[in-house]
Amino acid sequence: MNEKQAALVRQLEIDTNTLMEKIRQEDNIKKKQKLIAEREKKQRKLTAVRNNRIISREKKRDLVAYSFIAPNFIGFAVFTLIPIVFAFALAFMKWDGSNEITFAGISNFLRLTDDTFFLAALKNTIIYVIGTVPLTMIASLALAIVLNQKIRARGFFRTVAFFPYVASLVAITAVWSMIFHPSKGPVNYILLNVFGVAQENLPKWFSGNLVLVTLILFSVWKYMGYYMVIYLAGLQGISAELYEAGSLDGANTWQKFKYITWPQLRSTTFFVVVMLTINCFKVYDIAVMLAGGGDGKLSTSATVLVYYIYQNAFNYWDLGYSSAIAMVLFLMVLVITLIQFRYEKKINS
Amino acid sequence: MKRKLLSILLTASMLAAMVSGCGSKQEEGQAPAEEAQTTAAETQEETTEPEAQTEASGEAITLKWAIWDKDITPYWQALKEEYEATHENVTIEMTDLGSTDYMTVLATELSGSGSDFDVVTIKDVPGYATLVSKNTLEPLDSYIADAGIDLSQYGGVDKQVTVNGSLYELPFRNDFWVVFYNKDIFDAAGVAYPTNDMTFEEYDALARQVTDTTYGAQVYGTHYHTWRSAVQLFGVLDGQHSILDGNYDFFKPYYELVLGQEDDQVCRNYADLSAEGLHYSAAFSGGDVAMLNMGSWFISTLIANIQSGEYDASLCGNWGMVKYPHAEGVEAGSTLGTITGLAVTSVSDQKDAAFDFVEWVSGEEGAKVMAETGNFPALMNDEVAGIISSLEGFPTDAESKEALSVSNLYLEVPYAENVSAINDILDTYHKSIMNREISIDEGIAAMNEEVGKIKAQ
Amino acid sequence: MSGQKENKKFRSKRRNAIVGKTMLYIVLLVITAVMIVPFLWMLSASIKSNREVFLMDPFVWIPEVPKWDNYVKIWTKIPLLKFVENTVFLTIVVTFLQLLTSSFAAYSFAKLEFKHKNALFLAYIATIAMPWQVYMVPQFIMMRGMGLNDKLLAMICLQAFSAFGVFMMKQFYEGIPSELCEAARIDGMSEYKIYAKIMLPLSKPALSTLTIFTFVNTWNDYLGPLIYLKTETKKTIQLGLKMFIGQYSAEYGLIMAGSVVSLIPVIIVFLCLQKYFVEGVASTGLKG
Repeated sequence: MNEKQAALVRQLEIDTNTLMEKIRQEDNIKKKQKLIAEREKKQRKLTAVRNNRIISREKKRDLVAYSFIAPNFIGFAVFTLIPIVFAFALAFMKWDGSNEITFAGISNFLRLTDDTFFLAALKNTIIYVIGTVPLTMIASLALAIVLNQKIRARGFFRTVAFFPYVASLVAITAVWSMIFHPSKGPVNYILLNVFGVAQENLPKWFSGNLVLVTLILFSVWKYMGYYMVIYLAGLQGISAELYEAGSLDGANTWQKFKYITWPQLRSTTFFVVVMLTINCFKVYDIAVMLAGGGDGKLSTSATVLVYYIYQNAFNYWDLGYSSAIAMVLFLMVLVITLIQFRYEKKINS
Repeated sequence: MKRKLLSILLTASMLAAMVSGCGSKQEEGQAPAEEAQTTAAETQEETTEPEAQTEASGEAITLKWAIWDKDITPYWQALKEEYEATHENVTIEMTDLGSTDYMTVLATELSGSGSDFDVVTIKDVPGYATLVSKNTLEPLDSYIADAGIDLSQYGGVDKQVTVNGSLYELPFRNDFWVVFYNKDIFDAAGVAYPTNDMTFEEYDALARQVTDTTYGAQVYGTHYHTWRSAVQLFGVLDGQHSILDGNYDFFKPYYELVLGQEDDQVCRNYADLSAEGLHYSAAFSGGDVAMLNMGSWFISTLIANIQSGEYDASLCGNWGMVKYPHAEGVEAGSTLGTITGLAVTSVSDQKDAAFDFVEWVSGEEGAKVMAETGNFPALMNDEVAGIISSLEGFPTDAESKEALSVSNLYLEVPYAENVSAINDILDTYHKSIMNREISIDEGIAAMNEEVGKIKAQ
Repeated sequence: MSGQKENKKFRSKRRNAIVGKTMLYIVLLVITAVMIVPFLWMLSASIKSNREVFLMDPFVWIPEVPKWDNYVKIWTKIPLLKFVENTVFLTIVVTFLQLLTSSFAAYSFAKLEFKHKNALFLAYIATIAMPWQVYMVPQFIMMRGMGLNDKLLAMICLQAFSAFGVFMMKQFYEGIPSELCEAARIDGMSEYKIYAKIMLPLSKPALSTLTIFTFVNTWNDYLGPLIYLKTETKKTIQLGLKMFIGQYSAEYGLIMAGSVVSLIPVIIVFLCLQKYFVEGVASTGLKG
């Protein structure tokens, strides 16, 4: 505490004391109350100045902490938080990006209910999510359990399983569209020549009702390696003693899985399912690359929400409407995450 | 701990949702300010304009010009050089925005604050409609009147892109659709070449005649690119229908024609084409396609690539072209057209110089440059047709030369305010019909309904 | 008598074990095949001519005359080198910034006490459940307003400050005993020094994991560059590859050669860092 502050403290002490005297002497109640209030104010200031050292230490601590956060947080706030707020606002506006912005109320949302393409996109996205989430989860869990065994060349197998995840989407979708080519691809060739499927019945993998199946298959194939790693990490957290105890009780493999592995992995599964759901709702590039054909346009059989957001924003410049669709996307992710959370809580309690 | 985190996560996302209420208010407040800023910027530009005008008389001027595919399109550079040679104080600076999504990219560029284009190329009409509605293009009427340009020289296409009485672009290139054919295939099959006067029935019969479905040695009688124009627009050639109609029952016979050909393997399957994204040039240059309906822009590509050896001349070097087939009772030579135009941006601070360039390119001098590079200028006349048909590599038969004369030209997409949305609807259901996800009738009904919704808005 | 029985039981158990193991390997081989065949197909097609690519009868992995020149041609057909340069530049800068800023911020969240800590962290957590696609449009409008349209810088701003990185690193740092930091503080070390000298060296697994994630995401991002990068000279390899496929749709060999080239860097990074990978995921709390 420096001299100046010491002097200030002394002065304040004197002031409060004199005020105390005055209060005692004052008879008028109104005036007395006023003086009391004044004294309390001085008193507060006094404590503040006295505690100055503690405050400044806290301040310094905060500053150091903020200096750690700042580089990331500033970028994060500017490029993520602000646009998010903007997105919510835009859903209630009408704007083409250059002319005047006008308030549109909920008209953007009302339009959604009668928009064939939006409804198709919504339906396809939901089907895709419902197909992909459980399949990926089961496949990655199975893969993780297999690759957690003591087997030869485990590292190699793990790497291979993770390969599709790191592979670039454009490259790998190009391969898939060759392998599943409706008339020349090896898959249909095998169906034709080995399984004897008639030529006119050969599946057209990238159109009609099948296109969503292809998207789901592709997505499971590409992302199961990623979730497998998460499950592997979860499996390594289960203590070996539990399994030993299980063996002593004569549990078979299935029982061990049912009574040890699965319950122990519950929080991992929860995490995987939440992440999967979020990621699946975001589907865009897979659909455009596998079902878009030459011009990258999706028909009603393969259109997805993000595609329609993009279309409305950058082709029709209907920014408000595109944000309204984005809000629907967000709400669905939110609701599903909440449901999963409630379920998880219920099971735990 | 983990569970706690997740609970935080969820409350936070809900909070975010609630924030939206306050957010919208904030935005409301912000938006007018932003608006005010842009208008301020505009007025500023207007005041600086007179200076720019004086500059045009002699000082060095640099015009920024938006184009696509600089390396594979021969005329950009030629136009630039020719113009600079006659206008010594002007430098044309080209920016290549690529051809995929060109109009989307351009719209983004122009509606942003940082754009400094003076002249932009307009690739298609839906994109043009977007740019006009965003107030990013300068109406050219007063300039056209001042320069005394006679619009009738464009044969009426200017009327199909006039917006509320104003013209925002001048066409400099005008492509029309013809039928390309591979003479070798017809010779091998012993079938007579297609002619400049074919009805659709004759065309269909011809395609079926040259088709060979032997596995491994297939020859396709004809080929349709995945664009909807390649099929749907057979229907507008009678001059009684347009894609803006809102009722598309007239597409039906042409879908039946094409799907019927697909069934008989007369043309490649749409689903296959779509899966591999096969480019029409790759299909035709592969030497197993007898006929291809395509725009006249393919002429210069074909000539150049055969000369450079990119396409195997033994497979597709012996080609010819004829006029589009026509419906019974309609005059031969009716075809579809696509115009490419130039426009002046509303943010340009040297509009007069920019318009001078636009006028030059879309005028006679520009037309000559276009023709010399094997492209069709909007200003088409016998001299220009002569230049093109005498190009090295152009088929030497009389029929091919004759195919260049067009009697009626209908734009693939004429202007309408909501043409962009209509275009996408027609695209989507074209896809669905061709992929056989829905029947022709269902598809056309869906087009009628969806376009009806758009028009009602 | 009973000994024989035991023996039998033991033997059948062993037989079961062997059958089990064999099954396991068969399953593994099938999975491996499913996972790897598309890549082998890619490699094989990249040295084939157009006719050979879809030739099934007889199907060969390596054609009689491999067309190695596909790998030479792709560099001249499109500005692939430029695309690779752009992508490498972007990926390195983004990964570096991501690692630096998120580990920095995460240290603060995990090991320091300060005002508004919970509120700030909440902001990060909330956005993890928020798909980028929800706010990509306003974000683009904003960036355009800042003059970042068609600039590589836009992609850096977009990807370098993800909430995910901070969250992940924080989880990891929380697993490091606080006593370590306390001891250092008593020794008079500043927080910056504690971060640099103690925490960073300990965070190798987490940093490797984050590197793989960031690298893979940036390298393979498609929608982001599609929205922001317009000029050909600024495009990334994903956009370039897509453009290439559009232009040379029938040149399967070339397309596949380009695809192979685009895979190489990610695979190198992955192989270098993968030994830390499972460990990293386990310690960063990503498992849930």
